[in-house]
Amino acid sequence: MAIIRTTALTRRFGTLTAVDRLSLDLPTGGVIGLVGPNGSGKSTLIRMLLGLIRPSDGTAQVLGHPITHPARYASRVGALIESPAFAPNLTAYANLLSLAHLRGLDAARVDEVLEVVGLLGRDREPVRTFSLGMKQRLGIAAALLPDPELLLLDEPTNGLDPAGIAEIRVLLRALAEQGRTVVVSSHLLTEIEAACDHVVILTLGTLVFAGPMVELLAKTSEHVDVCPEHPGDADRLGDVLTTAGWFVSAVGAVLELDASADQAPAVNRAAAAAGITLRTLIARQETLEDVFLRLTGGTDGDLALQRAAQAGGSPVGALPQAQPVKESP
Amino acid sequence: MLRATRSQLTRLNHRSFLLGWLGLTALLSAMFTAVIFQAASGGAAIPGSAPGGGFPTLADLSGPDGYVAGLGGAASILGIVTLSYWAIATASDYTTGLIRLLVQAEPHRLRLLAGKVLALTGWTAVVATVATAITVIASPLVARAADLSTSGWDTDVVDLVATIASTWLNTFLALEVWGIIGLVIAILSRSSAVAISVGVGYVLVVEGAIRLIASDVADTLPGATLTALAGGGSEPLSYGAAIGLGLVYGAIGLGAAGVALVRRDVVE
Repeated sequence: MAIIRTTALTRRFGTLTAVDRLSLDLPTGGVIGLVGPNGSGKSTLIRMLLGLIRPSDGTAQVLGHPITHPARYASRVGALIESPAFAPNLTAYANLLSLAHLRGLDAARVDEVLEVVGLLGRDREPVRTFSLGMKQRLGIAAALLPDPELLLLDEPTNGLDPAGIAEIRVLLRALAEQGRTVVVSSHLLTEIEAACDHVVILTLGTLVFAGPMVELLAKTSEHVDVCPEHPGDADRLGDVLTTAGWFVSAVGAVLELDASADQAPAVNRAAAAAGITLRTLIARQETLEDVFLRLTGGTDGDLALQRAAQAGGSPVGALPQAQPVKESP
Repeated sequence: MLRATRSQLTRLNHRSFLLGWLGLTALLSAMFTAVIFQAASGGAAIPGSAPGGGFPTLADLSGPDGYVAGLGGAASILGIVTLSYWAIATASDYTTGLIRLLVQAEPHRLRLLAGKVLALTGWTAVVATVATAITVIASPLVARAADLSTSGWDTDVVDLVATIASTWLNTFLALEVWGIIGLVIAILSRSSAVAISVGVGYVLVVEGAIRLIASDVADTLPGATLTALAGGGSEPLSYGAAIGLGLVYGAIGLGAAGVALVRRDVVE
């Protein structure tokens, strides 16, 4: 069963479309990564799922209930939305106690979640004295208060040092192993790769990929980059390699071939046969970041929104779009 | 709703917030009582209908309920203090972003609003108690210092208790409506600074300006109505009319706050 299902979900802010006809099903269980450049609509999507903002169009269900009735699932969902938000003059304990009271929970639950995030002992200090990392842990503690089936965490590793990030990764895995579904948005692709079973990629409010992480990693391809000793030979080298059957694209003075590492000697021989000496010949595997940039068109959504606003239109369609790879898993 | 009230009370349970509110109320109550008695005994001209204000006369201060008459004069300034604290308690949910967590935990937004109003009402009752107590305690002392006769004051315990109780109720009702005005401006503006500026500016400038142009209309505006309510009625506005109008202002304020909270997206 899909724990989250959206159908043509859309949210517009004036002329800007933050989420554009988004249709996806997220599976129950495991850690799901929500990835996208700035302004891709991740936070808007999470806010709509939590009932904080209303969609302009389309429908969505969380835990089988429509997002127009968030009260039906609020007690089963915990969330950290963007930066952690707390009353700065209150202690960490008082902040969580206030939220526990609001949810009708026992004060003992506050101690339990403080222990999970490692803040027990610091909980009687005002939140204003906390570092960003500690606030982030407190935000996760608040999300864990209702013992949720579904956790929506927006950038949970923001402000954490590498050790803290690793701890959160372990925590997310542990929570998923307890049978919860953890949806985590992040800009850190290495974190997404390390922690997530499933991944959703958004750009400019549209879906470009949704599926298992292994499926995304399978999309990485191999390349061979070559550069002639004399720059004047670049065009002729390109013709030679194209004639030999490789797809060649020029990136500055470097020619990039869609070819695997074991084809590198053949590339070298073809160049030599044409009387061209190569200065460099490098075989490389695409990284997840390369795939991400390829799928999202390397677009910064915030800049796109700004440009679209200046142009008086929607960013969707105003900029080159990546081709959707998969609509839903 | 009780969960929301308990949650809000936990957030209000902060020393500097409560001491500031109660301390300022106590200080202003004592200060106004002293000023009013000193000014009356010195024969100074006391403005009868300053913007949002209405000061007791020498006859009022010498009358049977003279020991609480000073509170009517302080009502507007105590109202502004109450407006400010309600606004701070409300707007801070927006400025800190806490509203995101609150709405997510309790999606029935009207319950959140009702819980907040109930919690702040409880503290407003405490504030009204402090203001009444300080005025009752300070009045004999400042009357003696001002050489003003207190022989006409209530001496019968039943009269004394009845006067103090009605003064407390009037003060509480006036402060409550001031608080609701602060709450609604804070929800609309999502800023305590804006809410306080608008509240103070309205009472001191807007209502005063309207009084210059149309004094009949000005007598029914919120500042004058709540001052009349706190003072147990005024010459242009009877006690019953002040209560009725005060309740109308309170209901309009709560309605506006409810509509704004329910209909608006939480984008903080």
